[in-house]
Amino acid sequence: AALTAEHFVALQSLLKASSKDVVRQLCQESFSSSCLDSESLLDKTCSSLSVPQGEAAQLLQALHHFTRLVAFRDLSSAEAILALFPENFHQNLKNLLTKIIVEHISTWRAEAQANQISLPRLVDLDWRVDIKTSSDNISRMAVPTCLLQMKIQEDPSLCGEKPSISAVTMELSKETLDTMLDGLGRIRDQLSAVANK
Amino acid sequence: MEESGFREPVLDAKSEVTGQLIDFQWKLGMAVSSDSCRSLKYPYVAVMLKVADHSGQVSSKSIEMTIPQFQNFYKQFKEIAAVIETV
Repeated sequence: AALTAEHFVALQSLLKASSKDVVRQLCQESFSSSCLDSESLLDKTCSSLSVPQGEAAQLLQALHHFTRLVAFRDLSSAEAILALFPENFHQNLKNLLTKIIVEHISTWRAEAQANQISLPRLVDLDWRVDIKTSSDNISRMAVPTCLLQMKIQEDPSLCGEKPSISAVTMELSKETLDTMLDGLGRIRDQLSAVANK
Repeated sequence: MEESGFREPVLDAKSEVTGQLIDFQWKLGMAVSSDSCRSLKYPYVAVMLKVADHSGQVSSKSIEMTIPQFQNFYKQFKEIAAVIETV
């Protein structure tokens, strides 16, 4: 969403901060996607700026929008960030915000990338190689086999702070393993082909 | 870049006790944009595994890996293959 004049008006509340560190702290904390639901952050903002709840909420929302937009567009130069502000915006506050954003943009980009929606992710892979020596059908044999357990985490952005992890256990014969290894080898080849382009 | 196809499971010495991997499909892709990053160059490997349980019921699992994760995944399989070759 684009930044509106109201957002910039709300940002002016930062002028009530007692120090630059208060502003820096607020910028850091307002980037996270959960900041707008955080009661404690709202209370803290009220008390550190001595402003009513409504004003603090608007400020947090404006800061959240602002920092998200900068990360979305990957604006890493001071010039590009300064250009976002309207002309009549408080000069010193503009420079301070720009400086703080330049300091944090790479962290924010990394955080935004890490929290993208995705298929479930593989978090752990355990394996064991066995030799099957007999079964109810066959009294004596020597068949190598591989047991594989994958631990899979559902989309972290959906399950919040308590990631749900499920495990899948399967058995692979030597043939299956070879076929799988062949497929993985092809992915590796494709990857190095892409990397060399 | 899609790959699939395993031969039918060989039945002679298969245990009926554990789930069997019966198919493995993969895709190598690149995320180029998202709601939080307009411009992205994020390569990933997506894998779908089909596993048959003891009753023959087939279920699919799709997972996504970053490139370093894939490299580790591949390394593990090479190790397993090396071990299974020696026993």
